Amino acid sequence: MSPKKPFFWVLVAVIAVFLVPVLTNNVSLRESLLLAAIYIILTSNLNLMIGFTGYVNFGNIVFFGLGGYIGLYLVTAGGLPLVAAAALAGAAVGAIALVLGLGILRLRGAYFALATIGIVEAIQAFVANFEPWGGATGLYLSFQAYQALGGPREALWTVYLLLVAVMGLSLFLCYAVKNSRFGLALFAIREDEDTAAVLGVRTPLYKATAYSLSGILPAMAGALFFFKQGVIQPEQAFDLTLSTEAIVMLMLGGQGTVTGAALGAFLYEQFRGILLTSTVFSSFQLVIAGALLLVTVLFMPGGLMGWLHRRWPRLRKVLE
Amino acid sequence: MIKPHRWIIAGVMAAVWLVVPVSPVAAADVLTIGFTNSETGALNVDSIGQLNGFKLWRDQVNANGGVHAGSKSYQVNLVTYDDQSKPDRVQQLYGRLILQDNADFLFSPYSSGLTATAAIISEQYGKIMITTGASEDKTYQLGNKYLYEMYTPASAYLTGALDALKTVNPKARIAMAYADDAFAKAVATATRVYAKAIGMDLVFDEAYAPNTTDFGPLINKIISAKADALIGGGHYADGATLARQVYDHKAPLDFVSLLVAPDSPKFATLGEAATNVTAPSQWAPQATFKPDFGPDPKAFGDAYRTAYGSEPSYHAAGGYAAGLILQHAIEQAGTLDQDQVAAKLDQTNIEIFYGHVQFFTDPGRHGLQAGHSMVIVQWQKKGGQLVKEVIWPKAGATAPLAYPLR
Repeated sequence: MSPKKPFFWVLVAVIAVFLVPVLTNNVSLRESLLLAAIYIILTSNLNLMIGFTGYVNFGNIVFFGLGGYIGLYLVTAGGLPLVAAAALAGAAVGAIALVLGLGILRLRGAYFALATIGIVEAIQAFVANFEPWGGATGLYLSFQAYQALGGPREALWTVYLLLVAVMGLSLFLCYAVKNSRFGLALFAIREDEDTAAVLGVRTPLYKATAYSLSGILPAMAGALFFFKQGVIQPEQAFDLTLSTEAIVMLMLGGQGTVTGAALGAFLYEQFRGILLTSTVFSSFQLVIAGALLLVTVLFMPGGLMGWLHRRWPRLRKVLE
Repeated sequence: MIKPHRWIIAGVMAAVWLVVPVSPVAAADVLTIGFTNSETGALNVDSIGQLNGFKLWRDQVNANGGVHAGSKSYQVNLVTYDDQSKPDRVQQLYGRLILQDNADFLFSPYSSGLTATAAIISEQYGKIMITTGASEDKTYQLGNKYLYEMYTPASAYLTGALDALKTVNPKARIAMAYADDAFAKAVATATRVYAKAIGMDLVFDEAYAPNTTDFGPLINKIISAKADALIGGGHYADGATLARQVYDHKAPLDFVSLLVAPDSPKFATLGEAATNVTAPSQWAPQATFKPDFGPDPKAFGDAYRTAYGSEPSYHAAGGYAAGLILQHAIEQAGTLDQDQVAAKLDQTNIEIFYGHVQFFTDPGRHGLQAGHSMVIVQWQKKGGQLVKEVIWPKAGATAPLAYPLR
């Protein structure tokens, strides 16, 4: 990607925004943007399946949770450095997703969506009974683990910067797939899978590859996030609500668009954060969030990016 | 006529006024304590009692002139946010409580998982956090310096029940059936070790899904194992269902002790099925502890009933006790300095309405509760009514253990 491409500058601008807490040493802003970065990672990678391939994956959280478990286990039991643990978690989850994808992506529509929920439940049940990972009580990280990064205070900054890097990679991956032959094949599958197959697209392999790709970076994010949290438990790691929320963020921003996925995740996180800490709205923040989402879906079915593209068509070339 | 843009400005100003939090107490001589509470989500019901306990302590302390530290008196101001029963925002919210709300001290969220997450922030900023509703032992074995636990650790939840059973039937054949969740599994793991240590016979040991509604197959297995005592359970829904179905199946059990469910006043609605069922409890209103500091159990119970119109649960007592122990340490230290207050907490060794409180201070388990013991309560029939009595430990008992069950 060269600086001549508008998306290059969009990516630079997004990362610059996320570096503001580092430059201003603002911990509150860091915590807010850290969650936004997590949501952007989840949403952008989910976009590969829902937006590009047309397969609704309700179980995308399984990558995040598995990555968290593998990463934390490698840090606590294996004594690996955080970056190596996160990278290995990403690779392992990508491989698992490829194998799983070759199986479940033979299903379509509602059957596939149900299968993805089943995978979350099955893996959660397995982890809850897998004693090396702490079983139902989960894995707890000793404070000693933070000393390797200079203590808890410094470790949280390091984790933040690593998450921003993973977020940047997620946006780039989304952009790269969208503008590749592989991406074109995925769009063909989304529009008409049977026709795509007749035209020579190897649909099972392409779908499984997309499924696997959509798992690598969320797994790395899971490893980093749960390292920061200091504890991982099955219910938290495989939270179907967060999985559903990621779909909502994608719909809000505009599925199939790179910047839309990021924008939806960012706005959703900021909006929920403001409602949650408001003395007036905190008691009924879920009601307000729900009403706003309903309005968005009713009046902007293409999400924010769809609305912007319709209103200013030239934006399509800048905000992909 | 007012121009439209002025309406917009007025609207924005009104929104800012509504959204910016306004502290209810003036800034001077205020002791701010921050915490998150599960106003929404799965932990909502469990955390309400704890919140009520915090609030009652605050109201009583403020009415009595506040917390006295040296020559100053501080009015207590509680600042809280909804953590939605999820860990995602806990660190963000605790960071906000320390940095933006200038919390002097912290209380924990409800549950061990959320507390372990919040503890990273309290440790990062060197802020004392008194935990309540977080009994998982692992949380206190991570090298924390500022975490202090009010609850008896999960590892000791069912040990009292085994001790009580051993006094009446040392050769009991025990079945342990527990929910397949973090809390119940932690309790079961420790109970298994304790049963072996005191020579009690565990003839059945199995987990069940927390949302189980038909315990028939499990009860049949317990009967087949020729067990005469049942311990285990998990939370309210499964525990109450298990107790009812044990009664319906006429299982030949002489002793039943379940986690959480029988401690709730609602459990009495099971009628005959609740009779003589026991439960471990962090505290019971009938307890007869003689406090060195703060109200006695009766005064606390009366004040709670007046304020909230219901019986205080042990969650509520734990919340109030957390405030009381923090107040005691601050008044002993005569300052709000974290390290000096922490030093006084390390030295804490007192009796309050909630029981004895003392903390381990060795690095491997710093802050873990060392002094407080669970009580065992039992629903006994008195004059045709089910009444909850404390049957263990014998020092605090209000009635002897009713044995056998039927």
